[in-house]
Order: sequence, then C-alpha cells, then structure tokens
Amino acid sequence: MAPKSNAGKEIGDEAEVLQAVILADSFNKRFRPLTTRKPRCLLPICNAPLLDWTFESLALAGVQEIFVVCRSHPEQIKAKIAESRWSKPGSGIKIVPILTAKETFSPGDAMRDIYTRGLVTGDFVLVMGDLVSNIRIDEVVKVHKERRKTNKDAIMTMVVKESGATHRTRSKADAAVFVLDSESSECLHYQPVMGYPPTKVASVPREILVAHPDVEIRNDFIDCSIDICSVEVPSLFQDNFDYLDIRRDFVHGVLTSDLLMKNIYCYVAKDGYAARVQDTKSYESISKDILSRWAFPLVPDNNHPAGHLYEHRRGNKYIDKDGTVVLARTSTVGNKCLIGSSTEVSDNAQIISSVIGQHCFIGEGAIIDNSYVFSGTTIGPGCVIERSIIGSDVNIKENTHVDKGSLVGDGVVIGPNAHLEAFSRLSKRRERGNTNQEEEEDEYADSEEEEVESAQDSTTINLGDDSNAIVWPPNTSDEDEDEDEDVENNKNQRFMRLGDSASDLAFSDPGSESSDEDSDSSDEDSEFETRLGILPTSSATSLSLDAPDGSSQDAIAEFQNEVRLSLERAFAEGHSVDNASVELKTLRMASNVPLSRVRESVVAAIVDRIQIIEGSGVPQRQEIANVISRWGPLIDKIGGVDAVETISALQAHCASSDRLLLFGQILAALYQDDIVEENDIREWHESPTSQGLGLLPGTRTDNIKKCWEVGSRMIQQFDEQDDDEESGEDEDSDEDSGEDGEEDGEEDDDSEGSEEESD
Amino acid sequence: MASDPQSAANQRIVEDLVSRLRRRQVVGSRATALETLLVLRQVISKARFSNIDQLTDVIRSVGRRLVEAQPKEHSVGNTVRKVLHHIREEYHTASGPPAVESSFSIAKFVLQGQPRRQTVIPKSEARVPLKENDPDDPDSFARVLKPVLMEAIQDVFDELETVYDNIAKNAKDHIHSDEIILTLGMSKTVQSFLKSAAHYRNYTVIVAETAPSFGGREMAKSLSSAGISTFLVPDSSIYALMSRVNKVILGAHAILANGGMFATSGSLLAATAARSYSTPVVVCAGQFKLTPLWNLYHEYGALDFGDPSAVLGFEEGDLVDKVDVVNPYYDYVRPELLDVFITNYGDHPPSSIYRLLKETYDDEDNEL
Repeated sequence: MAPKSNAGKEIGDEAEVLQAVILADSFNKRFRPLTTRKPRCLLPICNAPLLDWTFESLALAGVQEIFVVCRSHPEQIKAKIAESRWSKPGSGIKIVPILTAKETFSPGDAMRDIYTRGLVTGDFVLVMGDLVSNIRIDEVVKVHKERRKTNKDAIMTMVVKESGATHRTRSKADAAVFVLDSESSECLHYQPVMGYPPTKVASVPREILVAHPDVEIRNDFIDCSIDICSVEVPSLFQDNFDYLDIRRDFVHGVLTSDLLMKNIYCYVAKDGYAARVQDTKSYESISKDILSRWAFPLVPDNNHPAGHLYEHRRGNKYIDKDGTVVLARTSTVGNKCLIGSSTEVSDNAQIISSVIGQHCFIGEGAIIDNSYVFSGTTIGPGCVIERSIIGSDVNIKENTHVDKGSLVGDGVVIGPNAHLEAFSRLSKRRERGNTNQEEEEDEYADSEEEEVESAQDSTTINLGDDSNAIVWPPNTSDEDEDEDEDVENNKNQRFMRLGDSASDLAFSDPGSESSDEDSDSSDEDSEFETRLGILPTSSATSLSLDAPDGSSQDAIAEFQNEVRLSLERAFAEGHSVDNASVELKTLRMASNVPLSRVRESVVAAIVDRIQIIEGSGVPQRQEIANVISRWGPLIDKIGGVDAVETISALQAHCASSDRLLLFGQILAALYQDDIVEENDIREWHESPTSQGLGLLPGTRTDNIKKCWEVGSRMIQQFDEQDDDEESGEDEDSDEDSGEDGEEDGEEDDDSEGSEEESD
Repeated sequence: MASDPQSAANQRIVEDLVSRLRRRQVVGSRATALETLLVLRQVISKARFSNIDQLTDVIRSVGRRLVEAQPKEHSVGNTVRKVLHHIREEYHTASGPPAVESSFSIAKFVLQGQPRRQTVIPKSEARVPLKENDPDDPDSFARVLKPVLMEAIQDVFDELETVYDNIAKNAKDHIHSDEIILTLGMSKTVQSFLKSAAHYRNYTVIVAETAPSFGGREMAKSLSSAGISTFLVPDSSIYALMSRVNKVILGAHAILANGGMFATSGSLLAATAARSYSTPVVVCAGQFKLTPLWNLYHEYGALDFGDPSAVLGFEEGDLVDKVDVVNPYYDYVRPELLDVFITNYGDHPPSSIYRLLKETYDDEDNEL
C-alpha cells in the first residue's frame, strides 16, 4: 500500500469517497471504573452509545466510509457496530472496525497503525470516538480541499468551536491557546493549557509576530478534535515515532519544525455544535447541551442516534414515546430530564435534570439530582443520588445516599442504608472461579482491579450489608509530583471530574504558583508572552530579556554539551558537513531549543576546534582558514542563515574564552568563505549588543568591547577599500545602502583588505 | 420480500430520505412534499403487487416510515395520503362503474363518508380488463395499473409545481389599491401572492423581521426588488402598527382539520393583534399543507423546538449554564383568529377546512 502515490491522482477528484477514521479508544482512564468492562465509546450519553453519536455526526457530514480503530474491548465494539442501524443496507455508510494492537497506547500509535495498514487513500476526517457534533464537516472538507489546490503543504484543518473561556463544555484542564493568522486562519502556534499546574503564560514565538502582521490569540475555543487530514498525516506520525498526542505532540511539532515546512489551518465553526466527551465533567455538560437542544437536530425527540423516540414536553423533558414509562402521579420530573422506555418512577420520587436509562426502577421518595443512570438500574426507596454517574444493572438499595461526583460501575449492589462519600468510585467485585471466557474479557481491567481489591482490607466505608462492591482508592497525591507536566496528573484531573469545582486549586494556588511560573517561562528571549486570563487579548504582552535560569538553563547546558560532543565526533571522524548538520537538527528537535542556541553552540564548537598556535601569525592563520573552510558551511546548514547572529555568537564566545585574540582572524576567514558578508559585519557592528551596551561591567564586557573594536577596524578598512575602488560613493550612502549595496566585483579586493587588517 | 433486489432498492431510497428528514437536510413543506413524491414514484414503479390492498399497504408502510422519521413535517404524510387517494380513485375508475351513486346530502354527510366526485369521465382509450389476484399472471394487475398510477402521481406532481401560481392567480381580488398589508416571515406562497397582486394594484407591505430566523428581512428584500413599497419593522412594533394595517397575510406550515394552523413563530402575535383591531387575517397555503389532524396543539413538542443558538450565542459561556432557551419554530394559531384560507383549491373559511380535507384524502388514511 502506498497512500502517497494515490494522493496525487485523487486530490482533484470530486467524486472521491469521503473517509473518516474514528479513534475509538480514549487512551486514558478518566471514566474508570465505568470503563473497566466496557470501552468508553460504548458508554451511553442520553441513552445512546457515544459511538452512535459519533457515527451520526459523521453521517450528517456525508462521510461514506468509516474506519473505527479500537483497542480495548474490540469484540464489544464490533458487535455493537454489527447490530446497529449503520450496518443495515440503505444506511449509505460502510463501517470497518480495525483492531489495533494492545500495545497501542496513544493516538500517535494508532495513526502509525493506520499508516502501516494503508487504510486511507485521500483526505480524511479524523475524529475521536466520543464526538457529539452537528457541524457540517463536509463544508470544512471542501475548504480544506480548496486550500490544498493552492498550497500542498496545508496538511491538516482543525475544527474549533467558539465558546467563552469559561464555558461549561470547555475543559479547563485540557484546553489550548491557538494563535491564528487573522486572514487565512492558519494556525501559527499551539499551546496546551492545563488547569493544574495552572497555565498562566502562553509564549508566542516572535518570528510569528514578524511574519504575520495580523494574528489572533484565542483562548476561547473548544477543540472539537475533528481534523481534516491529508494522507501525509499518518506518514508524518510514522516518521516521528515520538509523537503521541495529536495536539500536544503532532500539531506542536509540525508548527515548530523548520524542517517539515507544513501548515496547519483552523476552521472556526460559527454555527453548529461540537464537543467531545473527554471526561466526566464534559459528560455532564454535553448531556445538558443535548437536552437543551444545542446539538439540534441531534436531539432526543428528533434524531436520536440509537433510534429511540422521545416525546418532548415543556421544560425540555423527554419521555419515551412508546408509552411504557410509568410515572407515578405524585412523582415529579423536573426540567431537562430524559427518561428511557419501560422505566418506572414511584410515588414521591423526584428527578431533577437527570438522564434515566431504559428499564430502570426508581423507588418511592428517591431523589435523583443531576445524575446519569444507565439502563437496567434499580434505585431503592428513599435513596438520594447527587451529581453522579450510575452504571447499568446497578442495584442501590433503600436509604442509600450517593454524594456528588461518584461513579458506580456496572452491576454493583450497594445498601441498604449506605453512604457514599463524594467522588467515590465503585466497581463490582469479580467473582472467583469464573469461566475462562469471562477471564478473557476482564483481562484489560485485571491488573488494576486486583490492585484495587488487594487494597480493600484497609477501607472501612460502609457499603451496606448486601454489597458486592469494591471501592477504588481516591487519587492520592503521592505520585502526582513527578507527573505534574502530564495532562493526566491528579490535580489536573480534578478539573475533569464530575461535580468537582476544583475551586481550591483554581484560587488558592496562584499566589505561589505564579511567581515560579513567571521565572520558568521567561527563558526564551525571542518569545512574546501572553498572560492567560479570561480576556487574553486585553492583557499585557511582555518581552523578557533575562538570561535563562532554572531548569531550562540546565536543558540548554545539556544541549550545548551534546552539540559539542556530536561535533567533536564529527571533527574526529571527518563526517561530511551535511551529515553533521542532520545530526544537529535531530538534536535540536529532541531538546526543543531555539535556533539561536544551536548557532551559538556550533560557532563555539568550531572556534574551540581551532588550535591556538603561539607566536607566529602565518601558521595560526593557516589553521583558522583550514578549520573555517572545512566546517564553516555547517553554520549555515543548521536550519537558517543569519550571519549577523553568527557574528554575535562568535563575539560572545570569543569574549568568554581564551580565543579572544583570534576573533578578528576568524571573522576574516568567515568573510573570506562568504559565510558572512560586509553588510552583515556592518549591521552587527551597529547593533547595541555588539558594543556591549547594557551589560554589567566586567572582563567579559571588556572583551566584547575589544571584539567590537576589532570589528571597527575591519569596517574602517572596508571603507578605505570602497574609497579606493569607487571614489564616487561616500561613506554615508554606503551605510544606508544596506542589502543591495553589495557588488560582487569588490568582494575579492575587500577580503584582501581584511586579511591585512587581521595581521 | 427482503431478498428481492427491487424492494432492496426501494428500501434504500426510503432510508435515504428518512435519514435526510431526520437530519433536517430537507426542510420546508414544499421541498419535503416533492421529495416524498419522488420516493413514492420510485417505490410504486418498482413495487410488485397483484391487488389494490397490496399496493396501498406498500405505500402506507413507506409513508409510515417517512412520517415517523419527521413527524413535524406534515406535508410528508399529506402527500402520502394524497397519493393514496388518487390511486384509489384511479383504481375505481379503472375497475368499472362506481358501486355507490353519490346522492349527496349534508344530513347524511358523516355516515356517507367520502363524497367521491366520480362523474366517471369515460376514458377514450380501450380499457384492458383489470384482473386482481390472477393466479396465472400475478403481475398483470400491476402491469395494467402502473401507467395509470404514474399518471396520477404526475398529477400530484404538477399540482405541487404550480401551487404558487394557482394561489397567486386570485391575488388581485384580495388586495385592493392603496391598502397596507402586514406580513411576516419568509413564505414563498405569500411572496408570489403579493408579487402577483402588484401587477394590478398599488399597495404597501409592512414586513415584520420575524426574529430569530429573520426571514422577514429576506422577504422585504425580495418584495422591494419587485417594486412593491415595503417597510421592514421589528416584531415589537406589530401591535403599534396594526391600527393602520388593512389586512394581515400569513403563510402556514400546516393547516389543521379544525381550521387552526401552525405557522412561523410570531404569527400568533400578529393574528392576536389583528383580532384586537378587527383586521382581517388571510392565510395563503398550498393544498398539500392540509393536515387531517386537529389535536396537535395539545402536544407541546408539536411546535418543533429548534436550536437555542439563534437566540443565545453558544459563546456566552456563563449564560448557557443558567438560562434555558426556548426557540419554537411554529406558533399554533387558533381558527377564531383567522378569516380565510386561500389555497390552490379556492378560498375557504376556517370552518370549512374539514370539508376540504374530506374531499382531498380518504378517511382510512388519516392514521397511516
């Protein structure tokens, strides 16, 4: 399979089949223990499995072929697809489940799997298996294809939805700042935003501001994870084996890379609704969005993905239409409720803003408040359920109180008279000696459940006499210190938790956090920083010029060391310049440092390579010329040409090493090899930093000044040369003439002059 | 049945329309009526049947499927009923002289049921005898009847095609010179009605914006480009302007058997305001909007609630959590508030809509 070769043929083809890839695995454990025996994409939301909502969202967009990449519980997903209405003739959609290896731990792995299987043949839609959307994706695809006709490097279009920064459906823990070009809506920069540790500063590389006069910095997008990808995208994942997450690694990697030269665009959806059920909190808010009809026409009474028919009543209540729902006369069903078929609600029971599945029984006087009850569950008389998710076939016996944020797994029995603490998580105890097949099904959950079970002895929570439940330990803080950078860290997860306002995290920490955040992120002197607030555009942008400090200092020192070692090897083994440059690029990608640092390190390494020969000038000059002519071109091959910066780097390095006296000679040699040109020297010479302005007095500053003086002499000589050669041109106009004042003819003569100078 | 490739093809067409209806990719009563008709034509041309009951069963089951998919687009069901009615009529003419002679009397109206206007136009072509359930040749019935059925469907089709012209042709009798007309929303029927009147009369139209869809803006633009003097006013000024208005002309989404109607939200406001000034309210609607249901207004959901984003932006993150937005597409307007319906079958007061329904559809099809 060679997807690339097909691509050329099919891009112009309008009748092409629109393909979609659904990554039907979450690659995280936010819904545990609900997802121990069931994949997340089969969890019901508003009584229809998430996968059905995703299919419907894609069908709405006219997708004809869908690949469902499943990892955990693939047999369940397969069965579900086979029995769903999508596999009936006349659905117009071909759904192919793809089983991926259990070793697929990230979306990146899944993309590599897609590449190796050669599934996609043209532009395709990539979505997650937990999408609820009514956006016309086909419009986006059209825009994307149109763009591809003029720009082959536009490899991806991300669909984002405008919302407020504090929208309930927008995750606080896993959001992002997008920097867009206002004209073309090209995504220029992507920075993930986390709830904990709170991201307060977004750094925007300065090059972006230089290249694009009009940029938008947006912190109010819901990232719908709908990507229109070109065939190159899976192959890019294949090439970059370290890409794990599509956003944090792939998008960030592509945008920051100078090698790939690929563009990613955003499509800001004005109309329509799209959101992902990525955690229990968004589960709640998306349920509410659906019930308040934001996802119209995907609403229970109109186009319910599972095909149920609901009657829409005043106050956005939805009661199943087939007449099997029994509501006792004295029961109350509040606004924004959904009640599935064959469910019975007894006397005096109250249901408030909740979703009740099919075949449920709600006992007398029970109160269900903002909760989500899956099908087949019995809730006994007098129970109180607050803001929780109750799995299917659960039996909650009388007078049990389930506090907010609890997740109760399938088949659990609790009560009577039990009390569940807030945020407790329960699952059913596995039966010993069960059949082999069940063992097999359980294998995903096994290790974790065993762990949980072994910890049971210590728990003393009263679950009632008849309970078969085990309590999952709360996420303790013992392990989160080392994982703070990860989105899945425990404190950050609290922002994703149902019913958890995480107000203690959001409001208590800033005082202490902000100070070290500030120093942490002010390490790049080439970046603008934007404070993240509710209105990011109104907040101040600050440019920091501080020297690097803290951890990033270590990282850079480590990088410089790596560069030195790698170049030493290259020098010793006599690599070609090209090979050495490839090695440097790889190093740079790995440690994610700005180009200027690489330049500094390379210049430093080359300068250090030059041996100091005492005494006579001629052998020394010969040595310099040898080294520069052999390795000088490397400076321009690290990914960008900036001769002025090269000179500055040379100056900085010479000023702080014992090769101070060689500065003039090296500069001359660089000049001779056309690595720097006269104009560059002039430009460097005029810049304030080259004169050592603004630095603290000290030997280094003195050395810098000395170097600058050497430069001055050189320029003097250039001027003399110019006067000799072209008497008509005076000094002023020469300085002004800038880039175009250079003429090829005079170069040779000039270099002679500079050589004289350096003696 | 399912193994039959033709019925599989039929099923595919039906499912296709079903999903488009569910996804609201086909909206508007005329558009859905046309789509339904196309599907029915396909289904009938491919269906196999050997007597009239089989045929009606096939059509009814398709109709049921389509109506279930989108119960709020009443013209789907109406079109199916209309087609069934035509088919029965053709069948009766084809199968010989009518059994019951219509001696029509109001007293026996209910008992008599369908007032068939079977004046039996003798067809010129030599008729092949219709044989139902012929054991030798089960397809003979279908073979004979199909061309006639296609013709009947074509009639319905033509009617739909010309519906605007037929409604508009009497426009000049309803609108007089120097009148001030108030209308709202974007209705093709009303638009062509007003434009046709403009050929003969010089009058003024006030168009209400009709938030949140703002169909009124489109309407005002189209009317003024046709040379009619047009004012676009906000909905809030409907009552204030009503004292100057001579006539209110509304479009309808569905006309119910009791003479009430579902119409763009805002219609109830306009009709109520008109009532308090005793301004006549005229409704222009194609015959395919006649719906043999009368109790829909009991049903809250019948108003078809749309997406709140037209009223409250989704980006108002703080409000979305706290505010419930109700955005109905339609208002139910009671028959007392309406004066006349102008259809392509002539003008009718609300009180005689039931008659029109009886003539248009067969009683047995009221429940598909």
